[in-house]
Amino acid sequence: MILLGIAMDGDFSLFERHIDALYRSALRLTRKPEDAEDLVQETYLRAYRYRSKFQPGTNEKAWLFTIMTNLFRNRLRQRPAPEDPLDEPGTDFFIYDQLRRDGMPVHLMSPEEIVVDRGFGDEVKRALEELPMAMRMVVMLVDVEDFSYKEAAAILGVKIGTVMSRLHRGRRALQKRLWEYSGRPRPSVAVGGQA
Amino acid sequence: MGHSDCDETMGRLSLYLDRELSEEEVGEVMIHLHSCPPCEQVFDFQAELKRLVRKECCTDDAPARLRAWVRKLAVEKTEPAR
Repeated sequence: MILLGIAMDGDFSLFERHIDALYRSALRLTRKPEDAEDLVQETYLRAYRYRSKFQPGTNEKAWLFTIMTNLFRNRLRQRPAPEDPLDEPGTDFFIYDQLRRDGMPVHLMSPEEIVVDRGFGDEVKRALEELPMAMRMVVMLVDVEDFSYKEAAAILGVKIGTVMSRLHRGRRALQKRLWEYSGRPRPSVAVGGQA
Repeated sequence: MGHSDCDETMGRLSLYLDRELSEEEVGEVMIHLHSCPPCEQVFDFQAELKRLVRKECCTDDAPARLRAWVRKLAVEKTEPAR
């Protein structure tokens, strides 16, 4: 506790450093800039209020994300959002399978060409925002914010196996949406081997 | 390369891309990929897709107003208590 003054000075930049990550994640969760801003403010208020519980030297980004996802889940409980039926069984490489099925020269195509270079611009964000919440959180934490499975599990208070299954389903659903956005027809046959 | 090697490697695709494999397991995957272009192609595609998701979702920075608010909060909260 002798080092309190120094530790607190450190907190300032330590917490503030993650503001962009928190804000963009809040946007994916709330889908509205005003709500995202509000959620980030509340996250910082809480972070400073419970600062004494934070252990310097541990992962402050994970700590801030734990606070934010908890706050957001409390909000959701008060105002539940409708979810949509993107969650279906299959492999982790939906788009790749579709291209092969269509006889496309996959080795000559990049996902960027397929998904982004079609004049939209925001389709990846939109696809992520349309994932059911449990999957959205995991894809956001692991694929966008680069947390390990273990960190994501700790942030969300779930088992690692749960993180893995949500990630698998979330990625598949995300790819399915991106495939639809890319202007390609909905698959008529189930892909991935499962009937 | 037997078909079971391909199956095993494919089963590790996500773990590999998410850097959740041990060094030894990464080595095994890489050995297989070097000798199996079809598997390598899937891995490259999925790696690129993961990079794309990340890149496309990292474009929103916090607004200046919010940044200023957080800075002000930090200054208030880190002033020595009287």
